[in-house]
Parts: sequence; structure tokens; C-alpha cells
Amino acid sequence: MMEPLVQVRRLVKRFGATTVLDGVDLDVRKGEVVVVIGASGSGKTTLLRCVNALETYEAGSIRVDGVEIGFRDEANRVRRTERELAAIRSDIGMVFQLFYLFPHLTATENVMLGLRRVRGLAKEEARRVAERWLTRVGLGDRLDYLPAQLSGGQQQRVGIARAVAMEPKVLLLDEITSALDPELVGEVLAVVKGLAREGMTMIVVTHEMTFARDVGTRVVFMDRGRVAVEGSPAEVLTRPIHERLRGFLARIELKEVESTL
Amino acid sequence: MELALASLPFLWQGLIVTLQVSALVVTGSLAIGLVLGVAAAYGPPIVQWPIRIYSDIIRSIPLLVLIFAVYYGSPTIGLALPAFWAATLALTVFKVAHVIEIVRGAVGSIHNGQTEAGKAIGLTLMQRLNYVIFPQAMRRFLPPWLNSVTDSVKGSALVSLVGVVDLMLSIQQVIGRTYEPMPLYVLGALIYFTINYSLSLLSRRLEARFAYIRE
Amino acid sequence: MEYHWNFAFVFRHFDKLAWGIALSLQLALISILIGMVIGLALALAYTDGGRTVRAAVSAYVEIIRNVPLLLLIYLVFYGVPSIGGFAYGPETSFVITLSAYAGAQMVEVFRAGFDAVSKGINDAGKAIGLTPWQRLVHVRLPTVFRIVLPSLSNAYISLFKDTSLASVIAVPELMHGAQWINFNSFRILEVYAVVTPMYLVTGWIILGALRRLERRVVIQRRA
Repeated sequence: MMEPLVQVRRLVKRFGATTVLDGVDLDVRKGEVVVVIGASGSGKTTLLRCVNALETYEAGSIRVDGVEIGFRDEANRVRRTERELAAIRSDIGMVFQLFYLFPHLTATENVMLGLRRVRGLAKEEARRVAERWLTRVGLGDRLDYLPAQLSGGQQQRVGIARAVAMEPKVLLLDEITSALDPELVGEVLAVVKGLAREGMTMIVVTHEMTFARDVGTRVVFMDRGRVAVEGSPAEVLTRPIHERLRGFLARIELKEVESTL
Repeated sequence: MELALASLPFLWQGLIVTLQVSALVVTGSLAIGLVLGVAAAYGPPIVQWPIRIYSDIIRSIPLLVLIFAVYYGSPTIGLALPAFWAATLALTVFKVAHVIEIVRGAVGSIHNGQTEAGKAIGLTLMQRLNYVIFPQAMRRFLPPWLNSVTDSVKGSALVSLVGVVDLMLSIQQVIGRTYEPMPLYVLGALIYFTINYSLSLLSRRLEARFAYIRE
Repeated sequence: MEYHWNFAFVFRHFDKLAWGIALSLQLALISILIGMVIGLALALAYTDGGRTVRAAVSAYVEIIRNVPLLLLIYLVFYGVPSIGGFAYGPETSFVITLSAYAGAQMVEVFRAGFDAVSKGINDAGKAIGLTPWQRLVHVRLPTVFRIVLPSLSNAYISLFKDTSLASVIAVPELMHGAQWINFNSFRILEVYAVVTPMYLVTGWIILGALRRLERRVVIQRRA
């Protein structure tokens, strides 16, 4: 049995006096889609941001493909330099809730930037790769559009293409549909389902329970900075035993019912 | 440097003149600018247009042009203004244009709905201005206006060029006697800096006070 | 009001005004270019730097912006040579002064620009593995320049008007020419009736040209 691609052990993260992650343990195997759910403040976004070093962590360890993310020298807690982190991040992909597309670049150029400057591809090759990915996410007719000229769903699909074109080992999705109008959510989720089918390893933070049920191989419920419940979608979502999880799901379902009214 | 400090009493006279000019310009431009600014924001087009043209033209020419034009030009049209008043008038005319823009901006930023709500409960224009518009516009008005006060103080230095013995000219006169320009310029810079920087600190303090109004 | 308008002298010596305005535009251009370099460097230092750097940049900006430009001009032209032992011409001295002045203005402009580049976009750059330098060059600077472009046109016009103060140290720009005509003919109203529109029209032309440039930079990448 191979080592898990992502190994998180006893992760602790503090913001000032608040402890946001209080000893998180998580394994993600290659090809798995781990869906992380929880109330706001439970630490799920922070966990994600620690994996690709957008946040530093105080204690514990995160290993991606055997490489320790935060520290060059674990024993002596020597933190990694920005250059080292840049190299590490190029193998981890992230898609953001608010898209954060580069406003001065077209869709194609947004995807090309990492390919040219980080992967070192020549301009024409980068363009071909970028256009291929954009066509895959359904934006073949919007290649030269600026972000301001795209809808939310389209922008998010560019964001996905930008991350996936780098061929990352693991893809991190941070509530990527929360900022979208309901009609636009479907097109984005369809793209993510496609990626899952092809075996992309993903850690997904989301409120979309249907997505968790359809695509997740494992569901993790976080509560107050720790993993409270872990299991298959059926176990966690359909027959919840944990009390706070039940409360959380009840509130989510209420919102889902409300939104269909 | 001791020479510089010894000249302080003389500079003090100049400073008083600077403060006089500044005070006159600031109060004059505020009074006139407020009225014209409100008129430009709320008045009918026939009132708006001349005011806006005035403001656009005056803000597009250098202050120096205005001062020289008024000072050298006034005798030719029969108005023999002494330097102090000519320069102060020119500076006021200049600042009125800026105050008009600040007032227009602040008052114009208040959503129309506020005026309508005020009308709906039967308030007159003056009442609406007093109780609804101005309190809300204050936040957008004070910082830029205090900034323009700083500009007035800096602009007052130009009156030295038509012979008004303000702080700037006093400095020049002392240098004329001591032949040591640098210490005096530094001293002068310090004085102007103290005045203007205090104003900007005040501006920041006031901004915080008015922050209770949510955007 | 009895005044006999007579533009003859003004028109005979119009060349002084024409060369003057050309010089004014030049001085403003050089100063804003140098000022932009200063402003960008200091704004970047401020945004990315620690407390001491921020304090130093703030000190520079606050000093220049709270002291009259006239005093700065005299200080650089008369004061500095007296303690430095060297001398420079009025034009060089004025360019140095106005560049430092413009630099202080540009720091504010660029600082606002950098602040407007959201942390999120910088994070997105991090997420695809760009190094800090790459993020600066490919993400932050392009965004900053597009944000500050409108402010630049206003800054240039403002500096163009400030060149009028160069006349006090005998730089032969527009204002100096106007005063020469004034003192040699006493045709005050005529000369200012000509010079005022010159400032006005030039300002409008610059504004219009820069507005068009702005629109081109945006439309350049069309749908």
C-alpha cells in the first residue's frame, strides 16, 4: 500500500490568540476526492491554505508526496524560503472562492502565465496547452476575453483551467461555487466531476452537499479546528451520529430547501 | 545657526502675516464656496453652468497667474489694491473654485433617496441641508477640505512675490542680511511643516470621529 | 471702464511665450518621469517593507507635501549650493526640485495602486508557483499601472501648472515670458488675456490626449 499523497499530522495553526487548527490529522491518497465540510470558523479553509503554504503553521507537519511543506529542517523548525515554497506550490493547484483571475490578462494568458514562467514552456507551446485546457472546461470560444468580460461561472472555469494546466499532484478547491449565482454552479461542478473521473487527487472545501455525495470518495467534518467525523459520504451524510454534525447538516438542508422555494 | 535663531522675532512678524492671509482666504473661500457649491449641486442648470465654468477655468490655471493678474492688473481697471489685499483676493478666488468642487463632491455623494425621504416628511431645503445632507456629507467634506486649507497656507507663500512681507519674504530679507540661506530655509520649512502637519493630523482625528456613518 | 486694448507688443514678442510654454511642458515631463521612478520605488518599499522603511518613506512624503513649493525651489537653488560648495543652473535646480516634489505625489498614487491589488490576486500568483519577483513583474506591476493611469494625467497637468514657479529663479518658461512682457510694456491685461487661455487650452489638450490613451490601453485587448 503506497504512502498517502498528502499527510497531515497534528497540525496546529494560530492567528494571534485564536487557535484555528487544533491538531488536525488527515490522509489523502492518490486519486481520492476528499470533501471537507464544516461551519464557518471550523478551520477548513485555513487547513487548505496551509497545504499550499499560503499560511504558515505553528506545529505539526504537512507532507505532499513526501515533501514537508512548511519546514526545510523539521527537527530545528527552519522554515522554507519563498523561493523553495514557490517551487513546491507549482505542484499543488488551488482554485479560489473569489476566482482571483489576473485582471490584465485574457483567459488564455491567465492560464499561460504559470506554464511560461514556472514550467518554462515556450510561448507558442504554452498557448496551445492553455487553449486545450480552456476548451476542455468549455471556454473554447472565449479564449481572448478579459475576466471583466466573463460571467462568474466562466471566470471560475478559467480559474480551474489555470490550476489544472500546471498538472499538479493534488488540487485544492476552496468553496469554489460559494460566490456564484445558483444557475452558474452546475457548469463548474460538471468540470470538477470530469476531473475526478480522470483520477485527479482533490481536497474540496464546499457547502454543496450534493457534490459531496456524487463525487467525494471520503467526507471529513471539521469542528472547532479538528477533524470530528470521517468516513464515506454515505456514512457521514446519510446517517450522522455525531451531534454537532447533525446540527450542521440540518442547517445546511434547511438552506437548500429555502433556496428551492 | 545662532544667527538664524536670533532672527526669530523678525520671522514672527512674517508668520503673523502668513496666518492672516491664510485665515482670510480660508474663511472667505469656505463661506463663498459653500454657497456656490450647494447651488451647483442642487440648483437649476442656469445656476449650475456658470459656477462649474468658473470652477473649471480657475482650477486649470496656475495660482501665480491669478496673483500677478490681479496685482498688476487692478490699477489698470481703476482699482488700486494694495499688495496684501490684491494677493489675498486672488488666493481667495483660487480657493473658492476648489471648495466648490469639494462641496459638490461631498454633497453629491449623498444618495438622492435621502433628499426624497427628507421631502417626504415635509422638510424645507434649508432643513434638509442642515439635518440630513450636511451631517452625512461631513465625512466626505472634511478630509479634502482640510487638505485644501493646507494648500491655502502653502499658497500664501506666493504673496511674497508681490511684496507682501509674509513668512517667506521675511526669510528672504533675513538671508539678504546674513548671507546664510540654508539655516533659514530649513527653519522656514520647519515652521510651515509644523502648521500643515498639525492640520493633517487633525484631519485624521476628525475622519475617525465621523466614521460612525456606515458607507 | 476705459481701457485701450493693445495686443501689438504681446504679439511681437509672442515667441517668448511660445518657447516658454514648450519649456514648461518639457520641465513637467522630465519631472514626472523622474518622479514616477522615485514614487514607484518608494511605494514598493513602503508596501513590502518593515516599519523603519515605512517611516522613512512617510517622512519624505510628509515633508515635501507640507512645505510650500516656493520654499523648496529657493532651498534647492540658493540654499544647497551654499553648503555644498557647488553651483548649478536654474533649470537643473528646478528639475531636481520638481522631481522630488512629483516623487512625493507619485508615492501616494502608486501606494494606492499597490493597495488596490488585492491580496487574493497575489495569492493566486503564489498558488501557481510564481516567485516573489515573478509576482511583482507579471502580476502586481501590470495591475498597478492600469489602476494609476487616470491619476497620472491629473498629476502631469498639475505639475505643468507648477512650472510657473520656475519663473522666480529666472527659468525662461511661460510665466517668465509673461512677466517680461508685463514689465516692458505694462500691457498687463493683454498679456494675461493671452497667457491664461494658453494654460487652459494646453491643459484640456493634455487631458483629452491622455483620456484617449487610457481608452486605448483598455480596448487594446478587445473581446
